[in-house]
Amino acid sequence: MKVGRRFATLLAVVLAAALTLVGGRAAPSAQASTKASKVVIWTDSYRKAAVDKVTSAWGRTRGIDVDVVVKEFDKIRDNLKTVAPDNAPDVIVGAHDWTGQLAADGSVVALFPTKAIKKGFPGYALKAMAYNGKQYGIPTQLENIGLIVNTALGKVPTTWAQLESRALAFKKKGSGRIAIAVPQGSGGDAYHMYPFFSGLGGYVFGARKNGALNPQKLGVANKTFLNNASMIDKWNREGLIDSKIDYGQAKNAFLDKKAAFWITGPWETEALQKSGIKFRIVQVPKIKFRAVPFLGVQGFFVTKFAAGHGTASAAKDLVSNYMGKAGAQFDLATANSRYPANVAAGKRVHDPILSAFGKASAGGVPMPNIPQMASVWTDLAGAWVKSTKGAGATPARVAFAAAAKTIAQKIAGG
Amino acid sequence: MSTTAAPTPAPSRLASATAAFRSAPTRAIAVFSGPVGLAVKIALLAVMNGIAVWAATILAGDHNWIAVAVLAAATLAIDAIYLSGRAVPAKFLIPGTIFLLAFQLIPILYTINVAFDKYSTGHVSSRSDAIQAIKQNSLSETASGTAYSMAPARDASGKIVLVLVDQDTNKPYVGDTKGLKPLPSGSVVLNSDGAITSATGYTLVKGSELFSLDRTLSTYTVPVGSAGAIRPQGLDTAVVLQQTLRYDPKAETFTRIMDGVVFHDDGKGSFKAAGGEELEPGWRARIGFANFDRLIHDPLVRKPFVRVFIWTFFFALSTVLLSFALGLFLAIALDKKGMRLQRFYRSVLVIPYAIPGLLSILVWSGLLNDRFGVVNHAFHLDVPWLFDANWAKVSVILVSLWLTFPYFFLVSMGALQSVPSELYEAARVDGGGAWQVFRKVTLPLLLIAVAPLMIASFAFNFNNFNNIYLLTAGGPAMGESTVAGSTDILISYTYKLAIATGKGQDYGLASAITIIIFLIVATISAISFSRTKALENLA
Repeated sequence: MKVGRRFATLLAVVLAAALTLVGGRAAPSAQASTKASKVVIWTDSYRKAAVDKVTSAWGRTRGIDVDVVVKEFDKIRDNLKTVAPDNAPDVIVGAHDWTGQLAADGSVVALFPTKAIKKGFPGYALKAMAYNGKQYGIPTQLENIGLIVNTALGKVPTTWAQLESRALAFKKKGSGRIAIAVPQGSGGDAYHMYPFFSGLGGYVFGARKNGALNPQKLGVANKTFLNNASMIDKWNREGLIDSKIDYGQAKNAFLDKKAAFWITGPWETEALQKSGIKFRIVQVPKIKFRAVPFLGVQGFFVTKFAAGHGTASAAKDLVSNYMGKAGAQFDLATANSRYPANVAAGKRVHDPILSAFGKASAGGVPMPNIPQMASVWTDLAGAWVKSTKGAGATPARVAFAAAAKTIAQKIAGG
Repeated sequence: MSTTAAPTPAPSRLASATAAFRSAPTRAIAVFSGPVGLAVKIALLAVMNGIAVWAATILAGDHNWIAVAVLAAATLAIDAIYLSGRAVPAKFLIPGTIFLLAFQLIPILYTINVAFDKYSTGHVSSRSDAIQAIKQNSLSETASGTAYSMAPARDASGKIVLVLVDQDTNKPYVGDTKGLKPLPSGSVVLNSDGAITSATGYTLVKGSELFSLDRTLSTYTVPVGSAGAIRPQGLDTAVVLQQTLRYDPKAETFTRIMDGVVFHDDGKGSFKAAGGEELEPGWRARIGFANFDRLIHDPLVRKPFVRVFIWTFFFALSTVLLSFALGLFLAIALDKKGMRLQRFYRSVLVIPYAIPGLLSILVWSGLLNDRFGVVNHAFHLDVPWLFDANWAKVSVILVSLWLTFPYFFLVSMGALQSVPSELYEAARVDGGGAWQVFRKVTLPLLLIAVAPLMIASFAFNFNNFNNIYLLTAGGPAMGESTVAGSTDILISYTYKLAIATGKGQDYGLASAITIIIFLIVATISAISFSRTKALENLA
């Protein structure tokens, strides 16, 4: 039939055109993906320059090419779960509180750095990237909050009583002033409130004998803390801490000179410098115990894909050997304006703000890196919000005991 | 009168008049109907076939034969439809159908697939990957923690060996797959960094050749008796490691060497011992209806479900009804002919709809702060907008109203024009007052056009995660200890369950609850649509 012939010729033309389009480029699956020619690293845009510098220096000494790929920091962990092995990285940058989840997923491999490398780090920095007694990452930078004091408006306190009296005195002198500008808001912020929590004897998870965290040993409502919890009610009555203040309001209050004391971290360095305020950074003074902050440690991991690519030994050499040395540590941390994890590299830091934050981290506790930590944040923050919201606040003892109960339920339910 | 006497222009004059007056679109269509159109069609079909062939090669490489067959059948069908002269309706429907399948049907099917899996933290990889990872993780350092500086080398026969120097005692050794042998002291030279630079009797492997040996190096083991084996860790270090777990491939169990505890595959994606101890990592496993089961049997999940569902329904309903009322009111108020600044008012009223919701909701959470926010200051109020459970609900509805009314304002403006003005005149002649005219004439005719939009808006607000989460993060916590806050809707509650309970990232559970929410919304929408058919009888 005429129509049938026309149809057939048209179809033939179309298919021919299609095949020439495809024939022009070799099918990607034709090439074997087993020949590894380089090590692939995923990093974020802030660190790209430093990672380029460090890895190309390493690559030159070993004769290996390195491919640095930029990804959004928060997406790295999730992308690792779904990436195809051909496009997968051998090394990734990551936050230490991903360690538990990455290790439980089997996405990263255990490292065995030498004693010499391990000696260069403070114990808690290495532990932050360990899980179940094994080391999974090498820390490169530390991050912690500190107490920023506007020295023109208030003297730097050395004891808790001084901080309390000076903050309240400043608040009384004018309207719209804030005693201690610590961000909470309706959702709360357990991270910024941690120095107050640890200062009263609180902790999140207890430790096992091998140093690993035990998710069944919850310290949110431990006896010591509950006995000291009446101080939180006192602070609430005085108006020392107010959970109605959120991050933006705390920052603006300090920068507008409506607060003399601000609790924040090194990411606000630029804003502080631009404001022209004379400030000093210290650790929150000891309350009943040392008011240590949560430490955020960031570092590098070797992924499970390195073995499949044939780059496992090279990747391990880069991460657990080269990146653990003081020179690389200094480059990687200062590129991000953070304090390096390696002690020798830390001594080379001359920036006064960075050093001050480094000093304020003394005794700090890394945020628990086990996956069960996901169940803790909301309720711990909520307990603070409820007990410091001004009039009609829940007594702290009740709030934290209830939070501990919910957290335990959530951990058991998972 | 005879109908044939009606005067009409002669047909030929009409045709030529029309022919000369063809508009641009008509002329464009005429051009495309000829060979140009055929060429474009063939080009587009060629591109589509090219993509299909490329996709087929990738799928064939993965041995996914069912997908290849489906792809081939679909491509040939599309070719047939577009190349034959028949099946004209299908030609128009196919592009929309492809997008419907790709962006609606396939995600729904994928979600249903995930809902029957255990897919959460610790259960993301395949079973073989998990077994491999457990074997890797079971290697641990010995009590002595012996470590060596290492340099891969070739011996006289060209075989790969490891030249080792004990980092504690500085004694040199050479290791191969059979064992460790000491070397005479002085035969191995180290540089200032502690790296091995030469060893008598062996040629060190250097540079890029070392990299090409990476696979051999990573799996190389030098057994040292009962203490384990020396394994390279990187390119210049080796550590003594011992296995703590042993895998039995026939029985598919792991046995801990130290105390003989056996770990069996528990059918739910992990290796578990009799006492409940679990090995990490697990894998993504099919667990049937277990995720749905949690909705019924797990008190953590079940207790707040009914309360959250009722609030979600109420929130979505009040948002839609209030927004429609306000939007309609404003549309009628601004419908006066010859009103001054009418365009200005209309533009300003659409602004909430134009600003990205993400930004405006965050700004609102600042404005509604009861100590420092503008709302309490300007109106001299002391309302705890976001900190009290009930006021938080009011705040959420008010902010949603602010964001949604411009949409109904625009829709109502358009729909009002479609009401024929003769009906208004007739109603006025019949003696109807303004409110009666509105209720009996305007509203029913308006609802025919707007009701489907209201149903769609209801479905959208039922799952409006942004409005709730950005403003209150689910709201002030309830008195009793639960996962859901006082302003949590079903979808934000699901999010909290999945991300912030147990070990986090429970995609299986989230998918299961999402399907339940989908069924609820679909049922409500279906019932509403069937009810709106009654409205059409009025027209």
